[in-house]
Amino acid sequence: MSNLSLVIAATAGSVAVIAGAALPRRTRVWAVVLSTWASCAAALTGSLIVLHTGRPMVLSSSQILPLTGVHMVLDPLGAVFVVITAVVAIASTLYWIGYAGHGLSTRTAAASLPLFILSMLLLPAAGSVATFLVLWELMAVTSLILVLGDQHERAETRSAGQWYAVMTHVGAAAILLALVLLSAHSGGQTFAAIRVHAHHLSPALRNTAFLLAVIGFGSKAGAVPFHVWLPKAHPEAPSPVSALLSGAMVNLGIYGIVLVGDRLLGGGPVWWWLVVMALGIASALFGALHAATSTDLKRLLAYSTADNMGLVLIGLGASGMFAATGHRTTATVAMVAALLLVVNHAAFKGSLFLSAGSVQVATGVRDLDQLGGLMTRMPITGAIFLVGALSIAALPPLNGFVSEWLLFQSLLHGLPTSSTAVAIAVPLGVAALALTGGLTLAAFVKATGVGFLGRPRSPEATAAHEVPRTMQIGTGLLAVACVALGVAPFIVLPALGRASQIAIPGTSASVLRGSKYLHVAGLQGVLAPALLAASLVLAAVVVVAVRRLVHRRSMLTPSLRRAEPWGSGRELQTARMQYTATSFAEPLQRVFDDVVHPDRDVDVDHVVESRYYFERISVRTSIGDIIENKLYRPAIRAVRWWGRQARHLQNGSVHRYLAYGFVALVLVLVVIT
Amino acid sequence: MNGSAYASLLELTSGLVLVCAVVTMWRRSLPAVVKALSLQGVALGAAALILGVHQHDVVLIAVACLVLAAKGLLIPTLLGRIVAGDPSSREATPVVNVPASLVISAALTFLAYGAAEPVVRLIPTTAGRLVPLGFATLLIGFFSMVVRRKAVSQIVGLLLVDNGIALVAFLATAGVPLLIELGASLDVLLAVGVLRVLASRIGSKFGAFDLDQLRELHD
Repeated sequence: MSNLSLVIAATAGSVAVIAGAALPRRTRVWAVVLSTWASCAAALTGSLIVLHTGRPMVLSSSQILPLTGVHMVLDPLGAVFVVITAVVAIASTLYWIGYAGHGLSTRTAAASLPLFILSMLLLPAAGSVATFLVLWELMAVTSLILVLGDQHERAETRSAGQWYAVMTHVGAAAILLALVLLSAHSGGQTFAAIRVHAHHLSPALRNTAFLLAVIGFGSKAGAVPFHVWLPKAHPEAPSPVSALLSGAMVNLGIYGIVLVGDRLLGGGPVWWWLVVMALGIASALFGALHAATSTDLKRLLAYSTADNMGLVLIGLGASGMFAATGHRTTATVAMVAALLLVVNHAAFKGSLFLSAGSVQVATGVRDLDQLGGLMTRMPITGAIFLVGALSIAALPPLNGFVSEWLLFQSLLHGLPTSSTAVAIAVPLGVAALALTGGLTLAAFVKATGVGFLGRPRSPEATAAHEVPRTMQIGTGLLAVACVALGVAPFIVLPALGRASQIAIPGTSASVLRGSKYLHVAGLQGVLAPALLAASLVLAAVVVVAVRRLVHRRSMLTPSLRRAEPWGSGRELQTARMQYTATSFAEPLQRVFDDVVHPDRDVDVDHVVESRYYFERISVRTSIGDIIENKLYRPAIRAVRWWGRQARHLQNGSVHRYLAYGFVALVLVLVVIT
Repeated sequence: MNGSAYASLLELTSGLVLVCAVVTMWRRSLPAVVKALSLQGVALGAAALILGVHQHDVVLIAVACLVLAAKGLLIPTLLGRIVAGDPSSREATPVVNVPASLVISAALTFLAYGAAEPVVRLIPTTAGRLVPLGFATLLIGFFSMVVRRKAVSQIVGLLLVDNGIALVAFLATAGVPLLIELGASLDVLLAVGVLRVLASRIGSKFGAFDLDQLRELHD
């Protein structure tokens, strides 16, 4: 019965692809959206059944893929990722209905979008190496087409596409090597066969496979230093695609690491997970720092994705280390925290990217220094962005707080262990988590404050107006999910518990109990999200009521001089007197000057008569990615140089080309003689 | 035909194939080169004919007649027409001068004997002994393609390579199936036809048949 849902999902998804490719423009979008919803609904139903019963769904066919056949096994771990993808996909396709008037409505885009969604829906259900790799490649190629979108004439978009294409294929090559290595030495290409033989493999082989998988999946998840494609591709992609990339696709990198590390190889030595945790700490700090200093709204969100995936990797690393040192209950808690963060990140980052897209549609700009005053012009989008920003900044009662609390709990209470490495790594993780939290808060105060509050800084922002209803609803859907997951995380925790049990077998699924209070097994912490939310609402009501009361009384006093807030008592204020995104981030930029390496460019125009008077000073600051500049650019330059050297071989002379062949032939003959 | 007459006839014709190849390296005048090629085609056909008669193989005799017609008559005639259409029908400045080319041809013949040694050991017959001649013809043909500048010389070089391969095939396998020989001959004929058209186009477009002037076409 439940097997049928995967078949229906695949069929409906294929119908959507055909509809996108064949139908005329007017009906295309609706047909694709409706059949994609059918596909998502079927996959969602199947996954919920799997999560509820805990029994995996198995589907096998030797007809579809030649030579290897298709093996699908959807267990609770995969089902969690299917559910996330389905929800984000439903919201972003709803958003796409309104967005299609502004782009992304070509045949290519309309056919690639459902194919991309379908490949992400089926990927966590892949049960064999061949099936997994085919779906992975399908996901990579369709997402590349969508990143290029209909903006592919722009130089920035093309460069982003190129970076993405190279990084995703280097990653895919690493994954291919890892999985093929494992399946070649296990005598079977199904994951079940690999799992059985994994313990008899040599340690060198296991280490190689795991490290290759971390590189491959890490590049998909945007882990530093494999993240360089992420802050380029996510901002340049059309916004519904950015939401899918950031809300659904990067998660599959996390899934891959859990799949290979925990599921196929059954956990490993402590140092494996130290590597994962180190990657996580680096990504969290680097991502958060760049998010705090970025002035491009979507670039900020993209770096914040790298930061959140870093936090998830910290959780995964901690979980692996606890499991390797025998603390399986704590390990499960850390795993649940990591998975909960994945779920929450999909909700808030999806809604943030979609609202950033709405801002872009309404104003045509992404640069925060040209925005401002959007809260009054786009109240609904502004409110949704605010919910997302509060969630990602981990403020109660929203969902980001719950996952961050859980992650802190599992790390803090995991401290007393036998291993020195763990005892050093875990506090570092906690410190990174705390610093990241602060930086993220700064980044989103900046995004909301500069982008939505104050006065508009450009004519585009002044002329902004609210976006179509479907776009608001699509974005709002995910914002509602943020609130729901924050107030009642209990609706997903049992499912996540079951998923963690798949990853780390031998523990009970109910490490997190309670329906009102959140108890963590083996730890002392208790959280009551609903009560917390209620008390916060109560506090807010009290503050508003008191303010009203005081306000009314002050209205009665006659000698009142009114001035604009923050105006130093002056009447006249211009938009140029406000804080900009750059000036807000300036102190942070100063502190982290060595890491951020900003390029400052000051142009001074003097008055003709005197060198002591300036006519105009313009200051430009741009922040590059230090890893891109110091690691990737030299490598690219080296390859270019090599290519240029090789060009000397080719000078256009027919005789030269013939001589190459002749000399090679003679040399071979001389050697064999 | 008795054994010793067969052996010396086969040696004569096969040797003539190589000598013609060397002659094409020696002469600069293109009509002379085409004549040498024509003689080489006849010698190749004759070698095949002798083999066919000796082995009482009717198919091989048919192939020999075909080779005589195509390589001894048809292709040289086609080339002759291109040469007639070119006012300066001399290989004026080859990349490597003639004496050096002849020395290198000698070295290539030595190399051919060295490289063909395993093949010779495999076929302990009179024909097998002569296989290196085919190898040498092939190498000299390739070499002439590298050092000659005229389009016609390039075609001649290609035909030398083909003749060398054909000679090795006749000597080493005692006859190629008719179908394959037909296919190969047709291929070469077609290549020559295409190159002829190309050469005349190059001639009318650039006023010369020198391939060196085509360097600017790269990229």
